[in-house]
Amino acid sequence: MIRTNNIEYSYDGAERKALDGVSLEIREGEFVAIVGHNGSGKSTLAKMLNALLLPDAGVVSVFGMDTSDEELTLDIRKKVGIVFQNPDNQIVTTVVEEDVGFGPENLGVPTQEIVERVHSALEAVGMLDYAKHAPHMLSGGQKQRIAIAGVLAIDPDVLVFDEATAMLDPLGRRAVIDIASRLNKEKGKTVVMITQYMEEVTAADRVIVMSGGKIAMTGTPEEIFRRGDELRALRLDVPVMVELREMLEKDGIIPVTDALEVEEMAEVICPLLLKN
Amino acid sequence: MPIVVEKLTHTYMPNTDNEFVAVEDITLTINEGEFFGIIGHTGSGKSTFIQHLNGLMQPTSGSVTVDGFDMSDKKQRAKGRARVGMVFQYPDYQLFDSTVLDDVSFGPKNMGFAADEVKQRSLEAMRMVGLDPEVFAEKSPFELSGGEKRRAALAGIIAMRPKYLVLDEPMAGLDPSGRREILATINSLRDELKCTVIMVSHSMEDVAHSAERIAVMNDGKLYALGTPDEIFSKTNELISLGLDAPRTARLAQLLRERGCDVPEDIYTNERFVEWLKRRMKNA
Repeated sequence: MIRTNNIEYSYDGAERKALDGVSLEIREGEFVAIVGHNGSGKSTLAKMLNALLLPDAGVVSVFGMDTSDEELTLDIRKKVGIVFQNPDNQIVTTVVEEDVGFGPENLGVPTQEIVERVHSALEAVGMLDYAKHAPHMLSGGQKQRIAIAGVLAIDPDVLVFDEATAMLDPLGRRAVIDIASRLNKEKGKTVVMITQYMEEVTAADRVIVMSGGKIAMTGTPEEIFRRGDELRALRLDVPVMVELREMLEKDGIIPVTDALEVEEMAEVICPLLLKN
Repeated sequence: MPIVVEKLTHTYMPNTDNEFVAVEDITLTINEGEFFGIIGHTGSGKSTFIQHLNGLMQPTSGSVTVDGFDMSDKKQRAKGRARVGMVFQYPDYQLFDSTVLDDVSFGPKNMGFAADEVKQRSLEAMRMVGLDPEVFAEKSPFELSGGEKRRAALAGIIAMRPKYLVLDEPMAGLDPSGRREILATINSLRDELKCTVIMVSHSMEDVAHSAERIAVMNDGKLYALGTPDEIFSKTNELISLGLDAPRTARLAQLLRERGCDVPEDIYTNERFVEWLKRRMKNA
């Protein structure tokens, strides 16, 4: 449903291509995580997905629409919404519900429907109680939830989170990830999660690793985190529990396992301890 | 001599409807040479607190002294402040000069050192943070990568040779390698300069690995103060405060809840592996 075919992109005056021949497909209902070091091209790729940037070469197709066709830009943006890194840059009005309604209003959605959309968007991010509040009085995590609601109110099929957790504290980060998972599982939204936090991709269906403007690796989280040394060579990391697993597997203390999270590791280790 | 904080309270907009007590009755001492971690969720008062350490903010009540200099006294404050280097969150946004060397030189130049001394200090600071002057001195700060910018900002503070280095989320926004490298740089600066490091961080793993003592802030108050062993043995309490206990500490806690005999001082992978090996051998 989103397809990029060998796309390239260079920022003005840059020596190196930010994207250098990226081909990928994002399928309907998928939860895809895109990870990569600073400057790997992952955010540039995100901005290609709803025509915020257009490729210098190659084609981006969104539901069959070519993003380079300006007449289709608005239709593409109704299909693909982006939540950005800095919540402060995404808030435009002084009342939460107006902010959330800003998108659909601009799209000419009838007033009664805007009210309904704002209500359900705020409900989806757990911020209904804050509808009449001033956004600037909220915490970073709460502002980011308002920004997500603003994108949801446009009712896109695809939600792109462009390092949307980078500036939040652990609690704020957790909330954004939980909301993204829920929107994916319960509302069938396709989610593209761009992040540097390896802990945030363990729930994804598929992980794409970017480096130097190219796709370096792709696979399920289980497959990707089996290749810890390659990830570290690409300036990345593995989740803490995977690091623990690597250390224990190496010395043969635990059997080889796909465990990625605390709960899964406990299930591997607990029987060993109780038996001995 | 240490930084001594006594009964520090800071109230924003006192005596108005918007009155807000950001920091309340904090008493603690930061010793010379230690690595002091500060954790707490957004809004817990961490930022307000650290801005008192170099006199950027003044207590509503209570006091802060740096090496004996009272930070509420204007004259003494200048002397105290010269000892405390503050690196804010996202300091890379504060680079402004045309070359990296000029940017790093800004601090020592303002302190009134002679040109030679400024240059020597700045070049030395660049080397200490891992920015080779040969390569970086004449570059524009805007050509640097995220991690390099962060280093340049750090060098600008180091060039002033502070005795106390206060870092607000120094690793925020960097990729995993960038985070590891900056933390390694901070540790090596501490070894070389024998400076005290005061680091605010959201990353429990980083604090668990580096800090010698940790202050946990909650609702503007000092919730707990202790060694990593003491702090991270209270996994459930940290989680109930909305903090993220290190994952290894959570694993240990979960195993204990299921009847396993994991000791309370296990909160890093290294310790976990060491313990489990011994445990299995003795079984």
